[in-house]
Amino acid sequence: MARNELSRTIQAAAECFQIASRPRYHTSMRCTQRTWAPPTSRYLSTTPSNRVGLDDTSELSPASQDFEPFTAAPPIDFSQQKEKKQGDALLARLRVVPASPSYFSAKPTFTDDFVNLSALLRKTATLPTVTAAEAPKVAWKTIDQYRIMTNEPVKNQRYHKMLHILRRLNCIHPTLIPEEVVQAMKRYKKDSQPGDIVPPPGIIDEWGRAKGVGRRKTSSAIAFLVEGNGEVLINGQSLVNFFGRLHLRESAVWALKATNRLDKYNLFGLVKGGGTTGQAEAMTLAVAKALLVHEPALKPALRRGKLDFLRSSIWLLFFLHIHYFPYYQWAPLHHNSFKAHVTHIQ
Amino acid sequence: MMNSSTCLRSFSQLSLDRTAHASLTSRTLLAPQIACFSTSTARYNQKKGMAAAPKRGTRTLNVKKGRKGVNYEMGKRPAPGERKAQRKRIVLSNDNALPVSWLRDLERSNVLEPTIEGQMMGLPERVVDALRAEEAFKPTQGWGLFRRPATLMRKETVQLAGLVKEIEDANAQQQPRTIRRIISGDRMSGKSTLLLQGLAIAHLRDWFVINLPEANDITNAHTDYAPLPGSQPLQYTQDTYTANLLRQMLKANPSILESTPVVTDHKLPFPLPPKPTLKHIVEHGMANPETSWVCFTALWEELSQPGRPPILFAIDSLAHVMRNSEYMSAEFKPIHAFDLTLIRLFVDLLSGQKTLANGGIILGSLSQSNKPLSVVLDHFVTIAEALQSQPAIVPVWNPYLSRDQRVVDALRGLEDPKQKDFDILRLGGLSKPEARAVIEYYAESGMLRHTVNDSFVTEKWSLAGMGNMGELEKASVRLRL
Repeated sequence: MARNELSRTIQAAAECFQIASRPRYHTSMRCTQRTWAPPTSRYLSTTPSNRVGLDDTSELSPASQDFEPFTAAPPIDFSQQKEKKQGDALLARLRVVPASPSYFSAKPTFTDDFVNLSALLRKTATLPTVTAAEAPKVAWKTIDQYRIMTNEPVKNQRYHKMLHILRRLNCIHPTLIPEEVVQAMKRYKKDSQPGDIVPPPGIIDEWGRAKGVGRRKTSSAIAFLVEGNGEVLINGQSLVNFFGRLHLRESAVWALKATNRLDKYNLFGLVKGGGTTGQAEAMTLAVAKALLVHEPALKPALRRGKLDFLRSSIWLLFFLHIHYFPYYQWAPLHHNSFKAHVTHIQ
Repeated sequence: MMNSSTCLRSFSQLSLDRTAHASLTSRTLLAPQIACFSTSTARYNQKKGMAAAPKRGTRTLNVKKGRKGVNYEMGKRPAPGERKAQRKRIVLSNDNALPVSWLRDLERSNVLEPTIEGQMMGLPERVVDALRAEEAFKPTQGWGLFRRPATLMRKETVQLAGLVKEIEDANAQQQPRTIRRIISGDRMSGKSTLLLQGLAIAHLRDWFVINLPEANDITNAHTDYAPLPGSQPLQYTQDTYTANLLRQMLKANPSILESTPVVTDHKLPFPLPPKPTLKHIVEHGMANPETSWVCFTALWEELSQPGRPPILFAIDSLAHVMRNSEYMSAEFKPIHAFDLTLIRLFVDLLSGQKTLANGGIILGSLSQSNKPLSVVLDHFVTIAEALQSQPAIVPVWNPYLSRDQRVVDALRGLEDPKQKDFDILRLGGLSKPEARAVIEYYAESGMLRHTVNDSFVTEKWSLAGMGNMGELEKASVRLRL
């Protein structure tokens, strides 16, 4: 068992050496204008810091460096060194620099990935970008998914640093993004991306109905919206008969109310399951979806309305029991005090 | 500036006012006889005088719990009947509301005009007094929100006014008709208010109006009853209730009773003054409850004489009538509500067994909130509604339900589409123009602070379940958010 694991790791390490595009530092890259520097270099550099002084290994031509298939150097046969003095001299002169900076780490995949991406970013750093909000939406792999993929105990912080690079790469202008970057990013994306599953667009059927479905708590609601004059039937009953509280009635037709469309549509709702609040709020969502079928441009208005709705709900929770005045309580009040009440309420 | 404690005190003052006991008086005979009766235990308000100083050595600081002789309730308790008086109080005006400048009054001349449909109309003072006397205003209605009572002349009101007109036209041709209607509709849709509007129209047209304000009060065995001698099958009179009803009738229809002479000899068990009018009979019945039913029948016969005004006979919460009453017979069997004399008269008229000699309308209103189960009534009402809306699909009786055959016989006319005189008056929601008229009235009264425009009206109309009148009022005036 242990032997198998060991052999597998050795095999993986050997494979690592054979990967073609092993990133190397070279002079031309050093000359490019650096707009972005990975802040993690000190964690990840396993190579000696005085790399500049090495003349033999680092002085390779840029062309051969990039896409050349990697082969490890032949082992140095010290037995062939006849003279002990000569061998000592060779050892003194020679310094073996591993091709991967993660050569000495137990599991080099993450480091390699990081270095790859850093190099890629360095290469594409000068390309024009868009803001993060305008960049295409990408669902990156979570750290757990990445850990499973690499079988490596990647630290949270390091993974997030890599995500940072990925997000930056994703911000390259979509029309100019190199194929290389697109391919490299694929490795870190989730299998399904937002927007992959496009729901079929809502249709208005032959009777002029648009259908929407909403759920809340354990209730589910279906709303059929037709053009009309503000009539509402829920499970065949009028709004008043079905929802006893005014607040629930407002909830049920909130989407129409918030967009000023209450007098433009007729609503037929079917609700089941749950309690009254859940049913009313399931109906809210169903009506909003059905309304979007009729008027897709109302989406931002509905988003604003959603905020209002939440606000009003919280507000109501606090104030309903205080502000309900039966008329006989304030009927005999003096006019001024009545006014004071009113201003207090408003 | 009046603070809240002063307000409360004024409430308690009001409860001592005799007019505040209007609903209490329905159980008693005459206003001066009112005794503040309460079922709660009597509480003696003992005056604690300054006692002598405690003896030396006795413990004066008694802080142990559960000690005897200590009154834990320190606050002032309301007087007996005060809470009930406050609950049942009818408020018909609100000084804080603004008077509406454009409000016109209902008058004898315009009340039957179809042109007033969809308008708010004020009730004239004479009618308000009469309606108040016959307890047509209910505490749950929103009369106390506005400066003075006003109603919306909705579509159904105009239909009712049309019936009044039909009766008058028939009377003019010497062919008196009795039209019977049962008002049905959703909860808070304005059934009792429509009944009130019917009473108001009848008052304005100088009809004789009898209103049984709440059927529950007749059948719930809160008033005394006695077997009617010589009746077969046995019927029961409710003397106190009838005496009180006579008093209400006198207050509501004073001019008719005063001006109409008694023309037949009723063999009354008491002498009448020379040149008696109907008022004399009524007054005697009021003062002597044991003769009240005799007086009532005598009055009824007098009103059946030719040349007398048409009659509007109305009852609210009809479902209480369509079942056994809470009274018990001598054999300790429940007495059917139809065996109570007043209700027998009403039901005979409603079912068409009797007719009004001078024509008139028999009006019953259903209630959705105080509603005993009456499957037969519900069934016949659904049948009548179906006949009006979709005659092809009429519900059939569920044979597994037991039914009250007397109620079935009384309501049978509802399933006969040929009987035009007996039908229901289905009260739906307001139309949008009607809702707008009401909301404008609210705004003009200062009770609604919002610009009245189409979108606002539609919003309220929709939230009120397509124009349910009570919900509309609740959403726009009562519930201030």
